[in-house]
Amino acid sequence: MAYVATRGGEQAMRHAEQFFRTLNGPVDTACIRLIQRHMPYLIDRIMGEASLYAPELAALALVQTGGDLYEAVLLLRAYRSTQPRLAYAIPIESEQTLTVRRISAAFQDVPGGQMLGPTLDYSHRLLQTELLDPTQAPPPRVPMPEADTAAPRHYQPVTTWQRLNGLLDAAPEHPPCDPVDIPDVTRQPVTFPAPRAQRLQLLARADTGGLLTLGYAGMNGYGITHPTVNELCLAYADVYLRNPLTGTPFSAGRVRISQAEIVTPFRGGEAQLGLGFAATMGWNEVKVIAAAMLDLEMDGPDPHPAHQEAFVLTHTEAVEASGFCIHYKLPHYVTFQSNLDSLRRAQTQASHRVPATEQNE
Amino acid sequence: MMPATSTTGAISSPIQTLLDPPRLVTRRPLLQTDGLLKRYGRVTAVQDVELRVYPGEMVGIVGESGSGKSTVLRLLNLQELPDEGSLILDLPGYAETNLFALDRFQRRMIQCQHIGIVYQNPYLGLRMQTSSSGNIAERLIMAGERTFQTMRQVARESLDASEFPLERMDDAPWQLSGGMQQRVQLARAIALRPLVLLLDEPTTGLDVSVQALVLDTLKHLQHELQPATVLVSHDLGVIRTLTDRALVMRHGRVVEHGLTDQILDDPQHPYTQQLVHARLS
Amino acid sequence: MRRRLLKAVALPGYQVPYASRELPIARGWGTGGLQVTLSLVGPCDCIKVIDQGADDSVNAANLRRFIARMTGVETTTDALQATLIQSRHRIPEERLREGQILVLQVPSPEPLLPVQPDLAKAREMHADADYALMWLSLYEQLVQYGTFTTGAEYPVLVHGRYLMSPSPIPRWDTPMLHQAAHVTLLAAGREKRLYAVPPYTDVYPLEFEDVHFRVESQQGRVCYQTGARHKLMNELPQPDGQVRYQLSDSGYATKLWQHQQGDTVTIGATYYDDAGNFYHRGYLKPDTDPA
Repeated sequence: MAYVATRGGEQAMRHAEQFFRTLNGPVDTACIRLIQRHMPYLIDRIMGEASLYAPELAALALVQTGGDLYEAVLLLRAYRSTQPRLAYAIPIESEQTLTVRRISAAFQDVPGGQMLGPTLDYSHRLLQTELLDPTQAPPPRVPMPEADTAAPRHYQPVTTWQRLNGLLDAAPEHPPCDPVDIPDVTRQPVTFPAPRAQRLQLLARADTGGLLTLGYAGMNGYGITHPTVNELCLAYADVYLRNPLTGTPFSAGRVRISQAEIVTPFRGGEAQLGLGFAATMGWNEVKVIAAAMLDLEMDGPDPHPAHQEAFVLTHTEAVEASGFCIHYKLPHYVTFQSNLDSLRRAQTQASHRVPATEQNE
Repeated sequence: MMPATSTTGAISSPIQTLLDPPRLVTRRPLLQTDGLLKRYGRVTAVQDVELRVYPGEMVGIVGESGSGKSTVLRLLNLQELPDEGSLILDLPGYAETNLFALDRFQRRMIQCQHIGIVYQNPYLGLRMQTSSSGNIAERLIMAGERTFQTMRQVARESLDASEFPLERMDDAPWQLSGGMQQRVQLARAIALRPLVLLLDEPTTGLDVSVQALVLDTLKHLQHELQPATVLVSHDLGVIRTLTDRALVMRHGRVVEHGLTDQILDDPQHPYTQQLVHARLS
Repeated sequence: MRRRLLKAVALPGYQVPYASRELPIARGWGTGGLQVTLSLVGPCDCIKVIDQGADDSVNAANLRRFIARMTGVETTTDALQATLIQSRHRIPEERLREGQILVLQVPSPEPLLPVQPDLAKAREMHADADYALMWLSLYEQLVQYGTFTTGAEYPVLVHGRYLMSPSPIPRWDTPMLHQAAHVTLLAAGREKRLYAVPPYTDVYPLEFEDVHFRVESQQGRVCYQTGARHKLMNELPQPDGQVRYQLSDSGYATKLWQHQQGDTVTIGATYYDDAGNFYHRGYLKPDTDPA
C-alpha cells in the first residue's frame, strides 16, 4: 500500500524526484554543452525519434533524464507539441543536399563515386583504454589531410541510372503540393492503410531499436532474405523558407539528414526492382537501413504479420510503446480484483459441473 | 419427359427454355441466376452461367480444376460479386430482387439466414480454435439469437443431424478428424434450416470409407430438409450418388447440362465424354 | 479537441479519432483523459482526480498536481463537490448528478481487439454493427468455464448501436453508465480515440437472455475502516493468510469516517444501497450461470 500512502502521495512523489536528482549529481550548462559536443550520434538519434531538430534541447533532455532515451524523447516531443508552427519549409530534392557520405552496395562504382565520408565502419573496435589514464598525455591531434580534388557537393541518385535503364519503375508523378496539405502524424490521427507521407513520418520518428528488431527479422529469413543497400546518404540539407513579404526563398539553416534506399528484385511479382526508402533528421544509419527495408517489406504481397504496415508502425512508436510498457507500474488492483472475482467464480463452477452431453438442458 | 440435354459448345439460350421443370415442381425455382460473368484481372472465370434450382432438388456442377465451378459457388454464396448477372432467391420480400444489387449488410443477412455452405477446406468454413458447438452457435448469433440454452439445443440438434458424436461437441475443430470437421461444417450450414445449401467438394480428401458415410448423411439431410442444393465436385461418383441434375463446366462456361444419369450415361459433348471416359478407364 | 468531443457526444459510443498531442506526462498514464480535462476546465471548475478509486494514488496525485499547476483550478476529493472528475478504472460510489462530467482514462478503446486485432477490420465490424464474434466469445466462456470470465472492462452496447469499452472499470461500475444523469467522456491518448456516453443514454453489458451479466460479489465484505458494506472493496491480504477489506472509493470512505467522527459532511445517495441493490431496479438480473 506504500504507493497509495494516504495523504503522503504528493510529498512522496516530490521526494522521489529529489532523490533521483541527488543520486545523479548536479548538472550545469557546461555538462550539457559537453554532451552536445561529444555525443552527436546520440543527439541525432533522439532528435530523429522526437522529430524535433534542436541539438541543444536534445542535450538538455538527455542530461535532465539521466540519459534515459525514452524519457528524453518524450520531453522533446512534449515540448514540440507546444510550439507554434511559424512556417513550412520548401521541399527539396535529394540532389540538392550537401552530401558528405554516400555509398551504394549495389555497384562497385556509381555515377558520382562512392564517398565514405565520416564513419567508424572500418575502425578497429578496440577500446582506447589509454584515454583513461590521466598521467598520459592526450594523443596529438592529427590534422585531416586535404583531398587532391574536392569531393562533389551533390550526387546523382543511383535510382536515376536504374530508371534510365528500365530496372525501376518511373518515379511516381507528384503534382506540386502545398506542404500545409501534407498529412501530419502529429496533427492528424493515423488510420491504416496510412498515406505514404504518414508512413514515412512514422518511420522517421520510430524507435531505432524497434525498427532494427523488425527489420533484422526480415533480413534474417522472415522477409526479403537479401536486401541490397542501393544508396545510403548522410548529408546536410538546407531548410528553405520563403520570405513572407517578398516570397523569395532563403536558407534558414542546415540540418543533418540521413537517407537509405533498399532494393530487391522481383518484388511484387514483377520483373522490376522493388524500392524501399526511409529518411530521418540526424545521422542515423542503422535506423534508415532498417526502416527502408521495412518500407519495402510492408508493401510485399503477403508480409509476415510482424511486417504488416499497421503492426510495424504502431509498435515502433517509441513514446507510446515505452509509455504503455511502464504504465504497468501503475496500480491495477481494481482490475486485478475484478479478474479474481471471475476466476473464483469459474473455480466454483468447475467444482460442480457435469459434462456437456449429460446436462439436461 | 423429353430428353433434357443440350450439347451446344457455348450456350446462348437460357436453360429454362430447354429444360422441362422437374415433374414435382410446379412453382418457380428457389434459386435463379442469369448471365453470370466474373473476371479476375484478364482471366474470365465464369461466363454466361444460368442456373435454376428448385426446392428439394440437388444440382451438381462438374468440371476440372479451374473450370469456374467454385467461383460459381462463391457467387451463389454472395461472398463475391459478379461483373454481370443476377441472383434471385424466392424469398418473401425478395422475389424480384437481384441479390447482387443489395448492399453488403443486406447481403450478409441473406447469406446468414438462407444460405448454408460446406467447403472442401474446413479452414474456410470453420473457426478452428472455437468449440464445434460454438461454430454452430455463431450462425444463430448472427441471426439474432441471444439465448444460451437455445444455442446449445440447436447446436446439439444440428450436430446430431450431421451424425456428429455429441460427446465431442465442445471440442475445437482442430482437434477433430477431417470427416468430423466436414460434419461440423455441415451442421453449421444447416443450423438455420437454410433454403439454399452449397457444397464445394464436401467429401474430397476424405478416406473412401469416411466419404461414403458423409455422402450418406448428405443424402439423408437433403431428403429431410429439402433445400435447393448446388453441389460442386470433380468426382462423378459423388455427382451420380447425390444429384438430380448436373451441369458440366469448362473454361468458365456450361458446356452440357441435363439429368445426371443422362449426362453420365450418355454424354453428348466431347468434353463430357472425355470426363466420363477418364473415370471409367 | 472540443469539436471532437461534440462529435463523440452526438454519436454515443462511437470512437472519434483525434490528434492526441504529446503531453508532459508519459503515454499510457492518462494523457487522453488529461487532454479532455484540460480542454474543458474553466475558472469556476473544481476537479477530482482518482486512480483505482483513490484520490491519493500516486498517479492521481500527480495528474491533479499537474492540472492544478497548469490551470490554477480548485481541487477536491469529494465527488459531490467536483464539477469534473478524471478517473482511472473507477466511478465514484455516490451518484453523479446532471452537469457533472466524468472523464475516464482509456488504455485500449477498441472493444473488438480481443476478437479482431486488425483495427481496419474492427472498424468495418462497427460500421455493420457486426458483433457476432463478441457474443461468440461469451458463448465460449460459458462452454469452457461455466461462467463469463471477463473481469474489468466488460464490453457494453451504447444506445443500442455501438459496442464500447467502458475503460477498465470493474463490472461493479458498469451499470452506473446506464441512464446516468452525468456525461461520461472516455479518451485514449496513446490510441488517439475519444468517445462519450451522454446523459440518460442506454448502456447495456453484453449478456444472454438466460445467462446474465453479474457484478463482482461484495457479499460478506465489510470495510475494516468504516464498516461499510455493499460497495466495491479492495481485498488486502494479511500476513496470517487472512484478508481484510477496505472501500475502494477513498473520497467516499473519508466522508463516512468523518461522519462517524461527528463532523458535518454531506454524503450523497449511492448507486448501490446498503443492501446491495442497484438504483435502477431490474437492471441487474438474477444470477443465472448454467449449472
